[in-house]
Amino acid sequence: VSAAGPPPPRPEPADDGADGAAPEPGCATGLYTARDLRHQIRFLLWMAATAAGYIGATAAQRHGASIPMPLRWGIVGLACLLALQAIRSYLAFLRTADELLRRIQMEALALGFGVGAAFSVLYPLLEGLGAPRLSGRAGALAMLLAWSAGSWIGERRYSGKGDA
Amino acid sequence: LTNRLRLLRAERGWSQAEVAERLGVSRQTVNAIETRRYDPSLPLAFSIARLFGIAIEQIFDPEAQT
Repeated sequence: VSAAGPPPPRPEPADDGADGAAPEPGCATGLYTARDLRHQIRFLLWMAATAAGYIGATAAQRHGASIPMPLRWGIVGLACLLALQAIRSYLAFLRTADELLRRIQMEALALGFGVGAAFSVLYPLLEGLGAPRLSGRAGALAMLLAWSAGSWIGERRYSGKGDA
Repeated sequence: LTNRLRLLRAERGWSQAEVAERLGVSRQTVNAIETRRYDPSLPLAFSIARLFGIAIEQIFDPEAQT
């Protein structure tokens, strides 16, 4: 019987991919599989297209007088279609994502939804007490910011960086 | 949920990235399971057991403390 025992495991850092084996191509943190990365890039591209569509639709509304009504409808409709496509690509990303990544995203979405809903309902009460009046889009912005923060917190939590 | 994933991996001389690739998950998922920050889903737990060729309860134990 050999007294040597099993070989020692290769050193494994918390999450930086420098464990002696090459991390996946284009994968800086080891959190994304190649498929996740592909889906996320697709989602980000659709988000960028949605943002461009939103800017275009907003500009069309501002300069509405000089633009024929059917064209204005078309521009706003296009912005809506781009947003729907971004939602579809996010769902595709979420459904096929690595299960830890899906957990992180679900927790981030829960945080985003909770913050967005609470902000939308409660901030008007603060406005009644004299807080600055905000745009109706502020709730959506709070939701997006909380979602982003939740993603960051989740990645740190499950990688062990948040333990310090 | 405690597990012997790190030990089993060491016995075979596999890196986390190799195990992750064989299981079709991310390297961080393997790391989070080993460090008990994340409990795998049942399908993934079965995949891990199949990968190492042993019963699932020989890898995961809901009661033991390490």
